[in-house]
Amino acid sequence: MNQRTTIDLDQGWQFMQRGITKLKNILEGLPEPQFSSEDYMMLYTTIYNMCTQKPPHDYSQQLYDKYRESFEEYITATVLPSLREKHDEFMLRELVKRWSNHKVMVRWLSRFFHYLDRYFIARRSLPGLNEVGLTCFRDLVYQELNGKVRDAVISLIDQEREGEQIDRALLKNVLDIFVEIGMGQMDYYENDFEAAMLKDTAAYYSRKASNWILEDSCPDYMLKAEECLKREKDRVSHYLHSSSETKLLEKVQHELLSVYATQLLEKEHSGCHALLRDDKVEDLSRMYRLFSKIPRGLDPVASIFKQHVTAEGTALVKQAEDAASNKKAEKRDVVGLQEQFQVFVRKVIELHDKYLAYVNNCFQNHTLFHKALKEAFEVFCNKGVAGSSSAELLATFCDNILKKGGSEKLSDEAIEETLEKVVKLLAYISDKDLFAEFYRKKLARRLLFDKSANDEHERSILTKLKQQCGGQFTSKMEGMVTDLTLARENQASFEEYLSNNPAANPGIDLTVTVLTTGFWPSYKSFDLNLPAEMVRCVEVFKEFYQTKTKHRKLTWIYSLGTCNINGKFEPKTIELVVTTYQASALLLFNASDRLSYQEIMTQLNLSDDDVVRLLHSLSCAKYKILIKEPSTKMISPTDVFEFNSKFTDKMRRIKIPLPPVDEKKKVIEDVDKDRRYAIDASIVRIMKSRKVLGYQQLVMECVEQLGRMFKPDVKAIKKRIEDLITRDYLERDKDNPNLFKYLA
Amino acid sequence: MNKLGFARKEKVQQFMAVTGASEKVAIQTMKTHDWHLEGALEAFYNEGNAKVVQEKNRWELLFNKYKDPKADMIMADGISNLCNDLQVEPQDIVMLVLSWHFQAETICEFSKQEFVGGVQSLEIDSLEKFKKKIPFLRSELKDEDTFREIYNFAFDWAKEKGQKSLALETAIGLWQLFFAEMQWPLVEHWCQFLEDRNMKVISRDVWLQLLEFAKTVDSTLSNYDAEGAWPCLLDEFVEYLIEKGHCAKKSDE
Repeated sequence: MNQRTTIDLDQGWQFMQRGITKLKNILEGLPEPQFSSEDYMMLYTTIYNMCTQKPPHDYSQQLYDKYRESFEEYITATVLPSLREKHDEFMLRELVKRWSNHKVMVRWLSRFFHYLDRYFIARRSLPGLNEVGLTCFRDLVYQELNGKVRDAVISLIDQEREGEQIDRALLKNVLDIFVEIGMGQMDYYENDFEAAMLKDTAAYYSRKASNWILEDSCPDYMLKAEECLKREKDRVSHYLHSSSETKLLEKVQHELLSVYATQLLEKEHSGCHALLRDDKVEDLSRMYRLFSKIPRGLDPVASIFKQHVTAEGTALVKQAEDAASNKKAEKRDVVGLQEQFQVFVRKVIELHDKYLAYVNNCFQNHTLFHKALKEAFEVFCNKGVAGSSSAELLATFCDNILKKGGSEKLSDEAIEETLEKVVKLLAYISDKDLFAEFYRKKLARRLLFDKSANDEHERSILTKLKQQCGGQFTSKMEGMVTDLTLARENQASFEEYLSNNPAANPGIDLTVTVLTTGFWPSYKSFDLNLPAEMVRCVEVFKEFYQTKTKHRKLTWIYSLGTCNINGKFEPKTIELVVTTYQASALLLFNASDRLSYQEIMTQLNLSDDDVVRLLHSLSCAKYKILIKEPSTKMISPTDVFEFNSKFTDKMRRIKIPLPPVDEKKKVIEDVDKDRRYAIDASIVRIMKSRKVLGYQQLVMECVEQLGRMFKPDVKAIKKRIEDLITRDYLERDKDNPNLFKYLA
Repeated sequence: MNKLGFARKEKVQQFMAVTGASEKVAIQTMKTHDWHLEGALEAFYNEGNAKVVQEKNRWELLFNKYKDPKADMIMADGISNLCNDLQVEPQDIVMLVLSWHFQAETICEFSKQEFVGGVQSLEIDSLEKFKKKIPFLRSELKDEDTFREIYNFAFDWAKEKGQKSLALETAIGLWQLFFAEMQWPLVEHWCQFLEDRNMKVISRDVWLQLLEFAKTVDSTLSNYDAEGAWPCLLDEFVEYLIEKGHCAKKSDE
C-alpha cells in the first residue's frame, strides 16, 4: 500500500466548501443534482482524513470551528436578510421555512463532519455537532426575532378570537420552534411566548367581560363564557403546547367568572335567583359547570340556592297559615283544617322532590348543595303551622295515608313512595321525639280501632323509620304492631276456651286486646263502675287469662272500649255502636227512667270532664238517645236526663261517636318529661366518662348526643345541671363555678 | 404542742380532757412530772390549781346562765338574754359570726358543747370579756375569705334540718344582713325579683353562686356573660333587671 498523502487545510477545506455550497444551493432551491452516496462518502472521507493525520496536520479543531462558521456565514448572509425584509404572517412563513431548512442543513453537515462527533468532540466534551448547529440558529435568528414572532402569533390568535380564519398549521409550526429551540427545556416557550400570550389573553377577556356583563343577561353571558372556554381549549389542542391548557383556562375563567361572579349571580332579572324562580334547569346546570371550576365558585351559588328554597318553603308555611286562619274564621272546621295540613305536607314533599332533583341533576350531586337543601328545609320545616308543630303535621299526614278511608286514595306503590318521602322529610325535623309520640298515639288508634288499612304498609314505614332514626326510635312502635298480632291469637284461644267451657260463657260477645304496657301510649285507667253484665265479662276473661299466664296483672282501660248494644225504642229496636263509657251510662237507664247529672256521675265513678263529654254525645249531638232537661246545647251539673224512648232513625245500626279528648297538650307534656330524663341521662353519661368538664363543653356534648332525637334548649340543659347538683350527682368546682365535677 | 411526739401529745390531750386546763398548763405540769399522766394529774389537783378549775367553772357558769330550763342547751330565750347582756340586737350579723365560731348546727340554738367549746376557743370566761370580743367578731367580716366562709356556713345553719333547700323568707333575711355588710347594690332588686317570682325555696347552688355573682358581676351587668354557667335563676334575674329597665341590655359586640 502506498502511504496516504497528507492533505493540508486549505486544500481540504476547498473541497468541503464545494460540498457545502452545493447543499446551500439545494436549500435555496437552485438547480443542483442531489447528493449521491459517492459525494457523501468523499466528503466524509475528507474530514476523516484531515482529522486522522499526524500532528501538526490534525485539523480537528479548525474543522470544528469551520463547521460553526459555515452556519454563521449562511445565516448572516442569507437567512437573516430574507427574514428581515418580511413581516407578520409572511415573516412567520419564512421563519418556518428557514427553520426547517436549517434543520436539513444541520442534518447534512453533521453527517459530513460526523467523524468530529465520534472522537474529537467526545474526548473534549464539547457541544455536539447537532447542538452547535441548532445553537447558531437560536443565537442569531431566534434571539433577534422572537419578540417580533411572538407579537405576530398573538395578533393572529386575537384575530382568530374575533372570528377570523387563520392558518392554524402555521401557528403550530411557529410554536414548535419555541419548543424545539429549547432542546428539551420548556423555558423558551414559557418565557418568550406563553407568559405574554397569557397576559394578552387576560387583557382580551377582561375587555370582553366588562362589556358583556353590562349588556348581556346572565344566561347569555354564561353561554358566551362557556363557548369561550371551549374555544380556548380547542386552541390548545390545535396549536398551543398542551402544557398551556390549565394556565390558559384558569386565566379565562378568572377574567370571565371570578371577577364578575357576584355581579353575574345577582343580576336582578336573570341572575341565579331568577333562574331558580323560572326553573331554568339548563342555565343552572351551565352555571354549575362554570362555577365548579373556579375556586370557591360554588359557595355563592349554593347560598343563593339555599335562600331560594328557604323562601319557597317559608311561603308554603305562610300560605298554609293563612288558609288555616281563614278556615278557623269561617267556622270551627276541623276537617277543613286537617285537609289544609294535608295539602301543606304534600306541597312540602313536592318542593323537596323538585329541589332534590335540582341537586342531583343541575348540581351533579355536589355535597355543598345537599347541605344547602338540608339547611333550607330545616329552617321552615321546624316552624310549624297554626299552632301545630311540623312533627305533629307529619304524624297526622302518615295517619291519613295509613288509615282506612283516609283522605288520600292512593295505590300501594304510591303509598310506599309517599311514606318514603315523609320519612325523608323527618330528617329535617329537630323534634323527632315529638313526632314519635304523635305517631305512636295515632298508630295506637289505628291498631286498636281496627282502622289500619294495611299491615304491610304499617311495617314498611317502621322499617324506613328504623333505617333513618335507629332501632330505639321504632322499638315501641314495632312492639305495638306485634302486640296486636298476639292479641288476635289470644282472642282466638279465648273463644275456644269459651266453647269448651259453656258454663263460663257470659252470654255477651267479648273481645279483649291484651297489650304490653311499655309499648303503648299511657292511658288513663279510671275505675269506671261497669254495669254488672260487663263485670261478669271481665271476670270470665280474667279466669281464662289466669289459665294461660301467672303473675301478670291486667289493667283494664275502659276508655278505649267499644260496645254494641240494642236500644229498644218504641218505634223499633236499633243497634247502637258506642264506647264502653257511653254504654255504661246508657245501661244505667235500664234501672231508672230519670237520672240527674250528679247521680250519673256517682254511679259511673267518672270525672266531670268525662261525664260532660259522654252525656253531650248522647243528648246534644246528632242522635239524642237521652232527653236533657233543660234542653240546651251545653251540659251543666244541674241537668236531668231521661231515656228517649221515642227515638228512631232510618238506619238499623248507628254509631254514636264520642269525640276524643284533644291529646296534643298531653303529648307535648309527655315529650317534655321524657326530654328531661333524656337530658339527665345524657349529662350523667358524659360526666361519668369525663369526671370534670367545663360548662360550655358539657352543653355542647349534650346537644350533640341528643341531636338525633331533638334539639335540646340550652336553658333546659342548664336547669337539669342544677337539678343534678341538688341531687348530688354533680358539684361545681370550688374555685371555678364554670367547671363541674361528677360525684360518683 | 407540735414539737411533742405522738404519745406525749395524746397524754397532754388526756390531761386537758380530764382537768379542763389550758394546753400551756397541761404541758407544763406534764413536763414537771416526767410525762407520767397519773402523777401529773395528782399533782395538779393536790396543788389545788384553783384557778383552772375556776376557769372551767366560769365557762359552765356562763353557759348555765343562758341555758334553757328544760334542756341542756341554749334556746331562743337564752340567746335573746345573751344579746341583751351583750347589748346587741339578736338580728345583728355579729351573732351569725358568733354562731360560725361556735360551729352551731342550728339557727337560734347552741348546744352545751358548741357554747362551751366556742367561748373557750375565743378565750372568753366572763361577760365582760364577751362584750369586748364583739368588735373583733365584727371586724372579721372585713376579711373576704372569712366572709365567704361565714356566708357558706349560713346556708346549712339556717335551713330546716332534713331539707335540701333554704326557705325563701330566711334566705332573704340573711341576704339583707350579708349584703348590707358587703354592700351589693342589687340586693333589693334581687329580693323583690324572688318575691315576684313566687319562689318558695333557694337551692344551695343558687345560694353559693349568688355571692360569686354579687362579687364578680358589676351592678350595671356590663361584664355579665349570658353564655356562662350561672344558675338559671340568676340568668332570669338579669332578664328581669333588663325588662324592668334597671339595667340596659348589653349591646351585641
